Parts: sequence; C-alpha cells; structure tokens
Amino acid sequence: MIRFENVSKTYKNGTPALKDISLDIEKGEFVFLVGASGSGKTTFLRLLLREEHPDKGRILEAGRDIGDLPKWRVPYLRRNIGCVFQDFRLLPNKSVFENVAFALEVIGRPRSTVESQVPQILELVGLTDKSKNLPHELSGGEQQRVAVARAFVNRPLILLADEPTGNLDPSNSESIMALLERINRTGTTVVMATHDKALVDRMRRRVVELDRGEMIRDQVRGVYGIDEGVTI
Amino acid sequence: MRVYFRYAFKETFSNLWRNRMMTIAAVLCVAVSLSLVGSALLLKQSAAQASVLWQQGTRVTVWMQPTASASEITSVRSQLTSSPIVKNCVFYTQAQDLAEAKKLLPVNEWSVLSVSTMPTSFRCTPTVPSDAFLVQNTYQPLPGVYQVTTPGSQIREMNKVIRVLQIVFLALAAVLLLSASVLILNTIRMAIFARRREVSVMKLVGATNWFIRIPYITEGFIQGLMGAIVAALAVTALHTWYPLHNEFQLNTSALIGTNAVVLIVGVVIGSVGSAIAIRRFLDV
Repeated sequence: MIRFENVSKTYKNGTPALKDISLDIEKGEFVFLVGASGSGKTTFLRLLLREEHPDKGRILEAGRDIGDLPKWRVPYLRRNIGCVFQDFRLLPNKSVFENVAFALEVIGRPRSTVESQVPQILELVGLTDKSKNLPHELSGGEQQRVAVARAFVNRPLILLADEPTGNLDPSNSESIMALLERINRTGTTVVMATHDKALVDRMRRRVVELDRGEMIRDQVRGVYGIDEGVTI
Repeated sequence: MRVYFRYAFKETFSNLWRNRMMTIAAVLCVAVSLSLVGSALLLKQSAAQASVLWQQGTRVTVWMQPTASASEITSVRSQLTSSPIVKNCVFYTQAQDLAEAKKLLPVNEWSVLSVSTMPTSFRCTPTVPSDAFLVQNTYQPLPGVYQVTTPGSQIREMNKVIRVLQIVFLALAAVLLLSASVLILNTIRMAIFARRREVSVMKLVGATNWFIRIPYITEGFIQGLMGAIVAALAVTALHTWYPLHNEFQLNTSALIGTNAVVLIVGVVIGSVGSAIAIRRFLDV
C-alpha cells in the first residue's frame, strides 16, 4: 500500500528531515511511527500527503509513484487518505454533523450520500447525540472523535494520524485508539505517529522508529523503545 | 454539480456580507476609478469627434486686395476652381463681406468700414482638410491676393490642450484603477486569511483548487461588477447632463461602448484581483 524507496528529504534551512528511508507497509497494516520530536515523523506523514516532495527516492501509494502525480491530481490522492491531527482541526463555526459532512461536500458527494453516511459514521464514533453541537461544546476526546469521523467518512484506503492522542488524557486516548483499531479492521491502512509509550507497548503492533531522520528500528510486534537512559 | 452551485453561491454571499465594510470600500474605489476611466474615454471620443468635425469644416479664406482689379479676381477664381486641392469655393463680394463684418464686429469697429475698403473674398474648402496649408501657400503669392487665412493653427492649439487633458485623465484613472485592484485583492486576501483554517481543512479532505477558488473569484467579480455599475451610471449622467458644445456631443452608441468597456474592466479587475489574492493560500 505504501512504499518508500530510498527517500531523503532536507528542508531549505539545511536540516535533514529524513535520510535514505526504505519501507514497505502492506494493505491493512497498523504502523506506529515513534521517535523524539524532530526525528522526522511529521515529515514522513507530510510526504505521504504530498505536502512535501522528497529530494531523493520515490514514494508509492497503492502502486503509484506519487511524485509523478500532476499537481491537479493531488486532491484526488488526498481523498484516499484520511488525516487526524493532534489539534483536531475542526471548523469552529460548524456543528459536528456539518464538520463531518464537509468532507463529503467538498469532494462533491450528493446530499443523499451525506445524509446516509454521516449519521452512520457518527454512530461508529459514538457521537450521535452530539451531532448538532459545536466543537467548543465538546471535550477534547469527543472533538478528536469528530476528527476521526471526518477522516474516515469517505472510506479512505489510508488513515494518517499525527499524535492523535497528544492532547488527550489516558481514557480518551484509549477510546481514540479503539476507534483507530476498529477502522484498521475494516482493511484501512493506519499510520500513526506518536509519543505515547504506554499505548505503543500495549498494542504490540509494527513499530518504526526514527531518530534524526534515520530509520533505526522496524519491529513487527514492537514496543515504544528500549528503556530510557540506554543509548542505541 | 448542483450541490456545488448552491455551495459556491452561499459562500460568495456570506463572504460579501461578513466583509461588508471592505466590500463597500472596494466597490467605491472601483466606482470612482472607473468613473474617471469612463469620463476620460468619453472626453477622448468627444475630442476626436470634434477635431474631425473642425477639420471637415476647415475653410481657407482667400482675401483679395480691396483694390484688386476684375481680371485679377477672375484669374484667382479660375485657378481656384480648376485646382485639384480645392473642393469648392464661394465668392463673397465686397458688400457681402461688409455685411458679414457687421455681424461679427462691434459697432464702433465696423462703422469705420465701407464697401470700398472691404476686400472681396473666396471661401474655399480644401479637398483634403490637411491640405489647408498647401492651399494657403499656393494662393498667397498670386497678384491681387491680400492674405490667405486658415483656422488650422487654432485647431492645432486646441488639439494639443485636449491631448494633454486626456493624458492627465488617463494617468489619474490608471492610478486609481491600480489602487482599486489592490483594494479588491486585499479584501479577498483578508477574507481568505480569516478562513485559512477552513481552506487548509478543505485541502486536507481533497477539495480541488477550483472548488476553493470559485467562491472567492465570484466575490471579486461581484465587487468589480457593482463598482462598474456605479461608474457606468456616473458616466451616463455625465453624458446626459453635462452641457457640451455641439461638436463634442456624442451619440448613444459611443456611450454604450464606453459603458461596456467600464463594465468589462471592472469585472476583470475584480476576478483577476481575487484570483491573485487566493493563489498563495492554495500552495500546499
């Protein structure tokens, strides 16, 4: 589903973000991307969204080299990728329903689709009774669930999550994780960048660790990291 | 598609309303500058029309000496009628010239004139208006000719003044037009800046650039159009009510043409301004 071939990326100010990354992620996999701040996790996700271009190497998604994609095709690429962020990125003046519906309206889905899909997805994330509320009336965990609903409502092939639990308490993190797992079980490939050690350790999923742009670990059933204080 | 039309329509008008102060400022700026552009265009057409009319009416007057003999007059007359550069001539006798002088001059001046001191004259129209000076130079040296006059130098003087006026008007209009475009650009930029979050979410969920762009371009289009309509009204009012001498008075089709230019320029400025304003926000 996702394939990195010797991908390197250096930002304009000279900081190397990724160095020679090669990686395969199969369809339906659940991958944790771990590493300290500035290790290149966010760059990794931005490359997948084609918000950035690699300096070297190729990135393939669903068998296609996304570097070959003409600029006007990029929106269509993004329709196959759902995104969740640490800061939720909801539209503050739209209700929960409208926020989720927005993702469908923007890609030109007819009203009938919106009206059948949105309640379904809101039920999945357990927010049916809050569909008329505005984002600021919800807790952080609920807001993130709206964001997940929006990311998943058009059934993307890939779901990217950039520290989705970074702003949440453990129990809310828990419910977001459960949600992502559920989405993963429908066959969606999930890539999640995180700092949450406990979460990664418990889930026992594939872990890719980045350190200053280099991939230093790729474990099938990994944990967050070797105990603190031990240098690798 | 229908979903999108409704969306774009709603977006456009809610944007216009939300930024209504800026909208008004932009519309007024477009209106003022386009009024000037329109007036300058009208003035230009008026001046062009007037100078053509003047030139068509260019008369070359061949004044004979009051003492010129009959044979001298006949010889000049035959040369004038046979010349290819002179279209036609009207002969004024001394009595006719005196009558004309009585009409043109104040009493104390014409009262000293008498038929015998008046020159006879030929009032001639050159075949080509610009040949007036050639006619003048040809007939000046003939025997019995006192003076050959044309109003050419006055017309040239007048044209020069009009040309300077046109340039001043157009320059002023251009500066104002530029400031109107910048203002529209700024209005749209503010509108988008206030909603950059929404735009970034739109991009994230896969909205195409045109999907995002069209409501803003429509907004600029409407601002430009409204300003242009006000300007067209001002130009029409100027055309209808400002008292101009006959030669300057333009017909309706010239007015319609000018207003069409005003409307097109307004709409183009609005749309292009907003397209430029939004470009930066779509780059991701």
